[in-house]
Formats: sequence, structure tokens, C-alpha cells
Amino acid sequence: MERIPFLSGNEAIARGAVRAGLGLACGYPGTPSTEIIEELAGLAGPIVEWCINEKVALETGIGASLAGARALVTMKHVGLNVAADPFMTLALTGVNAGLVVVSADDPGMHSSQNEQDNRHFAAFAKVPMLEPSDSQEAYDFVAWAFDLSEEFDTPVLLRSTTRVSHGRGRVVPRAPVGGEAVAYVKDIAKYVMVPEYARERNRLALVRLEALRRRAEESPLNILEAGTTDIGIITSGIAYAYAREAFPKAWFLKLGMSHPLPYRKIAKLYESVSRVFVVEELDPFLEDQVRALGLPVVGKEVIPSNGELNQEIVFNAFEPVLKRRPPRRRRPVFPPPPVVTPAPRPVDDLPVRPPVLCPGCPHRAVYAMLRRQSVAVMGDIGCYTLGALPPLLSLESCLCMGASIGMMAGMNRALGRLAAAAVIGDSTFFHSGITPLIDARYNETPGLVIVLDNRTTAMTGHQGHPGTGLHPDRSSGPALDIEQLCRGIGVPATTVDAFDEEAVKSAIKRALTGGDLSVLVALAPCILMDRSPHERVVVDDDRCNLCGLCVELGCPAVVAGDETIAITGDCTGCGVCLAVCARGALSLPEPADAGGAGS
Amino acid sequence: MNGVATVSLAGVGGQGIILAAAIVAQAAMAAGFDVKTSEVKGMAQRGGSVVSTVRYGSQVWSPVSPRADIVIATETLEGRRALDLLADKGTLVYATTVIAPGSVLRREKAYPDDLPEAARARGVRLIAVDADALARAAGSVRAANVALLGAATHVLPFGEPAWERALELAVPAKILELNRRAFALGRETVAPTEEGL
Repeated sequence: MERIPFLSGNEAIARGAVRAGLGLACGYPGTPSTEIIEELAGLAGPIVEWCINEKVALETGIGASLAGARALVTMKHVGLNVAADPFMTLALTGVNAGLVVVSADDPGMHSSQNEQDNRHFAAFAKVPMLEPSDSQEAYDFVAWAFDLSEEFDTPVLLRSTTRVSHGRGRVVPRAPVGGEAVAYVKDIAKYVMVPEYARERNRLALVRLEALRRRAEESPLNILEAGTTDIGIITSGIAYAYAREAFPKAWFLKLGMSHPLPYRKIAKLYESVSRVFVVEELDPFLEDQVRALGLPVVGKEVIPSNGELNQEIVFNAFEPVLKRRPPRRRRPVFPPPPVVTPAPRPVDDLPVRPPVLCPGCPHRAVYAMLRRQSVAVMGDIGCYTLGALPPLLSLESCLCMGASIGMMAGMNRALGRLAAAAVIGDSTFFHSGITPLIDARYNETPGLVIVLDNRTTAMTGHQGHPGTGLHPDRSSGPALDIEQLCRGIGVPATTVDAFDEEAVKSAIKRALTGGDLSVLVALAPCILMDRSPHERVVVDDDRCNLCGLCVELGCPAVVAGDETIAITGDCTGCGVCLAVCARGALSLPEPADAGGAGS
Repeated sequence: MNGVATVSLAGVGGQGIILAAAIVAQAAMAAGFDVKTSEVKGMAQRGGSVVSTVRYGSQVWSPVSPRADIVIATETLEGRRALDLLADKGTLVYATTVIAPGSVLRREKAYPDDLPEAARARGVRLIAVDADALARAAGSVRAANVALLGAATHVLPFGEPAWERALELAVPAKILELNRRAFALGRETVAPTEEGL
């Protein structure tokens, strides 16, 4: 007979993930989560890497998920604070291949600065959460988590605690299971969280939560175990083990899927017993929700809200309660499903007016060249996110500040080639683009990072940042050089004039064919900071065949008429439309000092 | 609602809606009203539809309202869109300025031309103002928002001194004279032609 492995919860999570067809695993070390990645590093199959921090790790996992690889991202509880930015919006975009986030919490603070209860993060983000109570469940639950993730298009939080992660038990191996191969499909409305698309994804996330609650009602992970006494215990995770030993004859509602809660299953427990205890470490996460059903329950008034529990604490806390008279039976009050309003429809079918890149915006110049390349473009947060909207459709993701580079890296790692580029603004690069770039260098990931350097934080109204050295009072200090900074990391970087279409085009091509990691700084100040008078583009109606290539740039100054293209007074003469016109019908007047007649 | 009046200012991001709303708010305060305002910033400022709201009365609680008594629109399509906000028998003061959105530039959609009919169907009174021309006459087309406000003074109960004070308080000194001229031209252009104002 084959020996049954004796595994820690963390080793079991690792092996359970490989069993479930894991494609990529990454994380940042943190007790008690660290051994998951260490165990995975020794197993055949997945790509495994340490990341520079938990935020970048999650963004890398998201990129891998988009590329079609099941991804596991591991961290300790406080690590999810660092990864909270991508996590909260990932809950809206959903996933492609399954994505599981492991949060290993540390009640009792054996090796942590706080003992925050990360079950709240599942509720906060409105995503499902699984809580194994021993190594076997840790092994089994990973596959459940990946399946849930793909079926419900959501990240899944797999929450462990020190005694699950660092406890050991025998784990019966099971036959491999895997998801179906899911190729990446560009889906701007799903992955670009500009307000218009995010509102709809948010609505879907709320609808999804109710569907998940129905699943929790029937899930075999939520087990009602019959007992022989009048006591019922609602519990999850390691607390189940303690309660099982403290009250072996009690009824149990053992919640393997502890968010969202199965209200009807909870009510069912009350049909069999007259006393119900909630046994959980840290916050009254389950208890508060049971109370909200109007059901009598004993919990945090007798059992500590801080530190770890054990079977003695559980017994000593609840045993005296048995001397009390049982509470009066009450009928549960199930909360009605919440109202979710649909997105407002356009008034009277009028043309909507989404925000656009301004006439003369240097970002448009780069998109005009970039969108001709067959490369997925991971985007970031700023004016340039507008490049995702029609007609440019040049940007395929917008998750959170700095996410473009980690997502690019995750995609390229999973696919093993330079399949994705990242586009990020100068201020966003300083905000949180540097860490993922260091990470990509450390993990030797190919990629092209285009920094759209317009010398300001434009979207919010032209604030300063470390690249400009400008302060709120308009005084100025040292300005950091992006190119030098990248070189310091060991990433080759070049700067081109964003409006020099030949330079931009050839730099992009060179970087993509090179297949390594590089940075291209496309430099040109925001047009709104330049109030000098501009020349206006002139149309040669004889040459123009109304093909519409210039209109497809989405410049508000280029108007398609019936017989001609008109250039409005908003034109800044940036010349981007000249570069895309195949018939040479657009031109800029010669500068006056050159003696040209002009328009 | 409950003696509180709502003025919504609609336009295209970049047209100076926020300044116009600030002037209306200052005028209402100078006229002795309690005032609350709300505006949309950020992404919408990049050429998208924007609406700011000014609410005044003896006491105002909410800074927003889904229903406006008066809409001041710096662009025709945005005025047409804002009909949806207007209470029955409300007033729309709008600039005849046309800024085509992307879908119209690309000829996927038609720019609407049904404003008069749609307004009549809802019992909304229309006041059309060539704000660009007035602003140009005042010295710069950028003052079109304030020229339009000048025209709107006839449907707002604040009185001339309140408006004068509001301009001083809300408009940056560098462009105050320009905006005073635009405001005065706007005020003159409507009074003689609109009956009962």
C-alpha cells in the first residue's frame, strides 16, 4: 500500500493546487503562508515565483489568469492589505482561468504585527471564501476554489490560519482535476474599469453574490452533522477542530464555504437543537450574520475575540451556558435579496458623450502606432485609460494604480513569450509602477513598458510628482529621471518624442521583436499645459477620399462630413492625423517665419 | 422641493461649468439664501458630459437633486439631454453652441435637432442664447459660460448687486473684466426678446 503523505496545511495547499492543474503560483513570503510557494518550487508543473510584494504578486496572478493559466497567489493576512487595491477591483472584473488568493491569518500573532480577521475581506470584496480546517481539506478545497472561481467568474479567497497552515495531518491524494483551457480574449468592457464599465461589473458582482449564496446552500463544503445532544455549533476553519473535541456529541454546521453564508442551512440547524453556539477565532464574523437572522446564539459574550482558541477555551467558555435555560425558539427572518439598480440608459437615445483624449493629446500619438501591433496592451489609471474607448480601443485592462506592469508580466510568464505590453503614465509609474518593473527584472520576465510621460498628473488637474519635482505650492525640488531610474534597475530604457511617429513606431517594433524586458518613455507634455497659439491642420479635399482613417483616431477636432473632412478650431496642429493619412490629404501650414502662406 | 430651488448646469467637460456653478452659488448666497452645491470632477472633465448642481432656499440639506427647476446648458446636446432633469414647466437656458461627441464625429449617431419639440412636449420654456458670439464680442470665446449666465439672470431671483458680488468673488481677477463684459452682454441679449421675464 502506498504511504499516505503527512503534510502541513501549506504543503497540502501546494499539492492540491498542482492536482487542480495550477499554471502559475506567486506570492510574497510571510508567516504563516511561506511554505506554500516553497513546496510548489519543488513540484513539477507550475511556474513558481516570489514577487516583490503582495500587490505585484496578485497582479502577476491576474495576468496569468487572463492568459489562461490557473493562478494561485499566496500571502499572510497583512499582505492582503498591500494587495487590497487589485483585490477589490478584481472582484469586479472577474477572472479568465481560475484565480485563488490564499490569505494565511495569524490569530495570536505568533509572527505578526496584528491579528486582523481577513474573512472581512471576502465580505468587503463580495467574493466567495473557503476555509479548510485541516490538511486534507486544505488539499481538497483548492480544487473546489478553482472550480468556483471559473464557474462564477470571481477570485476566491482561501483563508487559512496558523494552525491549519502549520499543523500536519495525513492527506489522501486524489485524482488530478483541471479546468478547461481558456484562451485570453480581449474584452474591454470586462477588464477596463473606467466608470461606465465598472458600474455594470459592480452590478454583476452583486448579482453574483446572491448566486453564490444559493450555491453555499447546496455546497457539500457546508455540512450539517447530526449530534446526540441539544447543542448546535456553527463554526469554520480550525475552530471546528477545537469545538469537535470540546463538544463531541453536539450537532455541527461546519462551514467550508464561509462567505456568502447559507442562511437556510443555518436555520435548519435550529430545527434540531434549542441552543446554538458560534465558535470562531477573532471577530464575530459568523455570529453577527446569524444574529441578523433574528436567531438566538451564544458566541463572543463568552469566548474571546482576541488570540487563538483551543478545545479547553471552547469547553470552558460554553459549558457554563448549558446551565442556563435554553432560549425561546424563534423563527428566522431571511433578509430579502438586496435591490440592485440597472445601469441608467441613455436619455431619449441621445448620443452619449464619454470623456475623450483632448485634441493634441500626446497619448493619441502613441496609441495610433501601438494599436497596429499584435500585442495585448495592459493599461493603467489616468487620462490614457481613455484609449480603451471607441474608436481607439487600444488598451485592454485597467485594474488599479500600477497594475499594468504586473499583469503584463503575469501574462508573459504564463505564455512564455512577449505577448503583452504595458502602458502607464508618468505619475502612475512613480505611484506604483517601479516595484513591478523591479519584479519583472528579478523574475526575468519579457515585456515592453511604455511610460506615457506627459510631465504631470493630468487627469486630476495637473499636480506635480517626483518626475517633475513640483510641489502643491508650485515650488520645485529635484526631478527624477525615469530613464536613469530604469537603467538603475537594469532595464534598458529609451526616450522618444511621443509625436515622432517614426521614432515611436520603430522603438515599439524593436522592443517587441527583441523579446526582452525594456522601457520606452514616450515624452511630450500634456497639451493642456501648452497655451501657446497653434497651427491648424488643413485638408486637401481633392486628395481626401473620406476613408476615415483620421476620424478613427478619435480626435474631437476631426469631423467627418458628407463630402469632406472638417478640422475644427480645437485643432492644435499636433500632426498625428497627418501620419495616418494614406493619401497625404492633411497638412500643416509652413511656419510663418519660413515665409509660407499658411492657411 | 420644500421651498428649495435647484439649478443644474450642464455642458461638456472643459466648458467652465464649475466656474459657472460657483458664480450662481455666490449670487444665491449674496441674495441671502442658504446654498449647497455639487460638481463632478476627474475623468468627466476630459470632454465628457458634466452636470453641476446649485440648490438654494431658506435651508438646504442635500447638495444634489434628481430634478431641476432651471437648467443652464453651455451646449445644445447637453441641454437636450438635461431636459430629462427638468421639472414640468421648468426653464432651459441653453447656448446654441454645438460640440459633436465622438459617435457623431464618426457618423454613427445623428446630432439631435428635436429640442424645441421635446421641450414643448414637456412644457419646458426654452431660452436660446448665442453665447459664443456674445463671448467673442466681449473679448474671448472662453467667456461663453458667463455670457450664458448673464442671460439666465432673468429667470433667477438674485438681483443685480448679488450677481456683481458673485462675479467678484468667483472669477479670478485676471479674467474678471472680460467676464463682466460677457455677463453684461448676456443679460442685455435676452431681456428685450423674451416676454414676461
